[in-house]
Amino acid sequence: MTLDEIVVPPIQRVLIIGAGIAGMQAALDIANAGYEVVLVEREPSIGGRMAQLSETFPTLDCAQCILTPRTVEVGHHENIRLRTYSEVEAVEGDLGDFRVRIRRHAAYVNWDICTGCGLCQEKCPKRVVSDFERGVGKRKAIYTLSPQAVPNKPVIDRQSCIYFERGKCRACEKFCPVGAIDFEQEDAVVEERVGAIVVATGYDLYPLSLMGEYGYGEVPDVIDGLAFERLLSASGPTAGQVRRPSDGKEPKEVVFIQCAGSRDPELHMPYCSKICCMYTAKHAMLYKHKVHDGQAYVFYIDIRSAGKRYEEFVQRAMEEEHVLYVRGKVSRVFRENGKVMVWGTDTLSGRNVEVAADLVVLAPAMVPKAGAGAVAELLGLPTDEHGWFTAAEANFQPVETGRPGVFLAGAAVGPMDIPETVAQASGAAAKVLSLFARWSSEVTVTSQVTVT
Amino acid sequence: MRKIGVFVCHCGLNIAGTVDVKRVVEAVEEYPGVVFATDYKYMCSDPGQALIQKAIADHELDGVVVAACSPAMHEVTFRKTARAAGVNPYLTEIANIREQISWVHEAEPDAATVKAIEIIETIIEKVRYDEPLEPFSLPLVKRALVIGGGIAGMTAALHIADAGYPVVLVEREAQLGGKMGQLSSLYLNFDTAPDLLQSRIEAVTRHPNIQVLTEAEVTELGGYVGNFTAKVNGSEPFTFDVGAIVVATGFDLLPQSELGEYGGGRYPDVIDSLQFEHMLAQGEIRRPSDGTLPKEVVWVQCAGSRDPELHKPYCSKICCMYVAKQAMAYKQRVPDGQAYVFYIDIRSQGKGYEEFVQRAMTEYDVLYLRGKVARVFAEDGRVVVWGVDTLSGKAVEVQADLVVLATAAVPSAGARDLAQRLRVSTDEYGFFSEAHPKLRPVESLTAGIFLAGAAQFPKDIPETVAQASGAAAKVLGLFAQREMVQEPTIAFVDEELCAGCGLCVAACPYEARVMHPWKPIAVVQTALCQGCGACVVACPNKASSLHNLATEQLLAMMEPVL
Repeated sequence: MTLDEIVVPPIQRVLIIGAGIAGMQAALDIANAGYEVVLVEREPSIGGRMAQLSETFPTLDCAQCILTPRTVEVGHHENIRLRTYSEVEAVEGDLGDFRVRIRRHAAYVNWDICTGCGLCQEKCPKRVVSDFERGVGKRKAIYTLSPQAVPNKPVIDRQSCIYFERGKCRACEKFCPVGAIDFEQEDAVVEERVGAIVVATGYDLYPLSLMGEYGYGEVPDVIDGLAFERLLSASGPTAGQVRRPSDGKEPKEVVFIQCAGSRDPELHMPYCSKICCMYTAKHAMLYKHKVHDGQAYVFYIDIRSAGKRYEEFVQRAMEEEHVLYVRGKVSRVFRENGKVMVWGTDTLSGRNVEVAADLVVLAPAMVPKAGAGAVAELLGLPTDEHGWFTAAEANFQPVETGRPGVFLAGAAVGPMDIPETVAQASGAAAKVLSLFARWSSEVTVTSQVTVT
Repeated sequence: MRKIGVFVCHCGLNIAGTVDVKRVVEAVEEYPGVVFATDYKYMCSDPGQALIQKAIADHELDGVVVAACSPAMHEVTFRKTARAAGVNPYLTEIANIREQISWVHEAEPDAATVKAIEIIETIIEKVRYDEPLEPFSLPLVKRALVIGGGIAGMTAALHIADAGYPVVLVEREAQLGGKMGQLSSLYLNFDTAPDLLQSRIEAVTRHPNIQVLTEAEVTELGGYVGNFTAKVNGSEPFTFDVGAIVVATGFDLLPQSELGEYGGGRYPDVIDSLQFEHMLAQGEIRRPSDGTLPKEVVWVQCAGSRDPELHKPYCSKICCMYVAKQAMAYKQRVPDGQAYVFYIDIRSQGKGYEEFVQRAMTEYDVLYLRGKVARVFAEDGRVVVWGVDTLSGKAVEVQADLVVLATAAVPSAGARDLAQRLRVSTDEYGFFSEAHPKLRPVESLTAGIFLAGAAQFPKDIPETVAQASGAAAKVLGLFAQREMVQEPTIAFVDEELCAGCGLCVAACPYEARVMHPWKPIAVVQTALCQGCGACVVACPNKASSLHNLATEQLLAMMEPVL
């Protein structure tokens, strides 16, 4: 389909699926250029994975600190219509005129009158393990993801809510000063019309439950990198204190295992997950900042610190923080006398290594976000054998899909760190802006430059 | 008398973990002019902002002090918040009690609390003297200048031009194409580079909105975002106005003559990777010394990279992949040849990259040796490479016919000079500095100047293309505005006091100060003024002043801390 075949005037409005750092960047670039954006996010609030991070490499900027100006700007932008706790259900039409059906999940809270005071969360008697806290922290059955959530409106998790389970409680309703709780609320379905779509669905971590070889299920003190981020985070469940899950003690020996599920074509994913080398160096460094007398070990295959100031960052971890890098794969992780035993081989010395650790942090493979496949199907987009969205052409069309008017941003395409995600999401925005500008008659070409 | 509200943010535990915020509120409540003070867990959150707006209405505040993080973070947020409640944005100021206090005085909570109170009082004094201001608008030239006609510059130019805006593309060489023009093929599919590039070059040269100036360089840049004036020195000199600039000057390889330890510049059969690309592109792999077909070829990765003692400490990012490609391309042409690769770490981070390197090892039998090369020397017409295989711990000697050095990527020659002409900062190696390493990777710190491709740091073609598109998005965003909005917190001259001595004209680093055409006074060119205050210091008569940083205001601000 080409532009000439469009009979109705194309709609200069874009749908962005996913409001992590990629979706927010694309949204801001497009909205700041004066076009309307419909930003759909499955979670109750925006920010994505970056909102879970403690500090960021290589500057050790606090993630929340640099993220909240963005989330606030998105939340208040006059050109951005935020649709959180929502999912795209159907897409019809084509370039210039997509009709998108969006299902907004029942939050059981009337967001129009809720003031975000937080009293309901305080009074709710039911505590459950929090996904956002990656299992190392808890939340209530009525919850927001964080105190700085945008929008700062709670949702009731129906599965955990005592009222939905047993028909009584309604503590939140009793205490809500504005009467915003609405147990009768139902899903709402809306339709939006847009001219272009950006897919920014992001990534998940490969589940620990699929990696029994690293002790999952048997050893409680084996956690993944995102859980460690939450332990390091000042706004996390331990207020930034490093505490191991089994007994809450400060771990004195921590082993970080890179390539857990990556570069492992026999058992797991064949590809490199790209971000783990850097965040592991950061984890080890931050751990040492918090536990001065602790020892950090990193098992790696290759150290991949290819980026501006990345190499220097890893060197700092080794030289200044005395993080011990061991080149080799880990063969076994098991529990013994309250310790987590890690067996591996140092391929440089050719010797076997055994570490009696207090905590093991895995850097699991990045995998496409659950639900990305469904989005691909809705939009008729191809994915590769692992479920990542496929660019039209790897070198010259990295953000285009085969489908006109549909573009890709961030780690939906494959593992990518924050700077690359941000630059590339702006790239996706450029595609949309070029398209919209061509649909405008406002822009006229002025004369060529003149010789002086 | 101004009615000031003070809002102290906990920033979770970032501030409240060190500073006693309750004590701060109690102290500043008593300060003259303060009619309301409170604290909150996260002032930037929606409820925090609502709290500020409610206080403005309830207490009829006309000045706001938010004691929180650096103004670089949330000044915009809180000024918007206060404006929505009817307070002029320039009567809202930030007291930075996080970066300047809680983060740096963690060990001394008491002293930190006292310092926080003093800093907040300083800012209360500032707000007391602040005048309500309005930003002013300036015209915006909707034409872009792209410097560099490689794949980054061409990509950015095409996007901007496709959106309907005129672009001037300046290229130093006679041809467009940059480094990509020197490649034979691209990883991962061995696509022929010249074919792919040619279609881009044609799209650029034929584009009605793109004017290409080859063999030309930007010699001078004046003006500011939205209104730059660029001088270009080519076959004919050009001067033109542009609103935005994309810097896409790319990279060079570290000259092999600097790599004597690898025989670089000493032996004809030690070449760099671009020379090998040239051979591949020509279809003739021959030893430079005698024209014979090399049967044993050694690639040395990290030649000059990751070498803080002698050369560059950084990783050049692209070498691991192109070496794998070159070794495979060599084996395609010389199936009975042997390829060796010396490496430190294999960095194949990208979609399909890991698998590509695996193919080099398993399908093409490229021998990867983990270790640094110790010595390269000539013997009996061959190049002998000594190294250590750090995996087996054994010394390795290869009698090679040809050695290819994957030399470090460095900024393109002249990048540093250009940076100076553009008044854009670079890092210690000469790569252009981005505004923020995480969240503003395609912007420079100079408004209106954006970065594309390897000028910022080595990157491969897919990353360059995506990032150059990103730079174009910033230009398009800028051009979508009707006019430029300028901050009003700039300098002004009191004509009564000005003696016309001209010291401020000399002091101004932005050429924002000129003498009046006929009156004996100095005049501020408002569009150029950055509000740095150099003129205020230079003026012997106190005729130069800054809006909202007046001398008496500064003195009043000093009071609480003395």
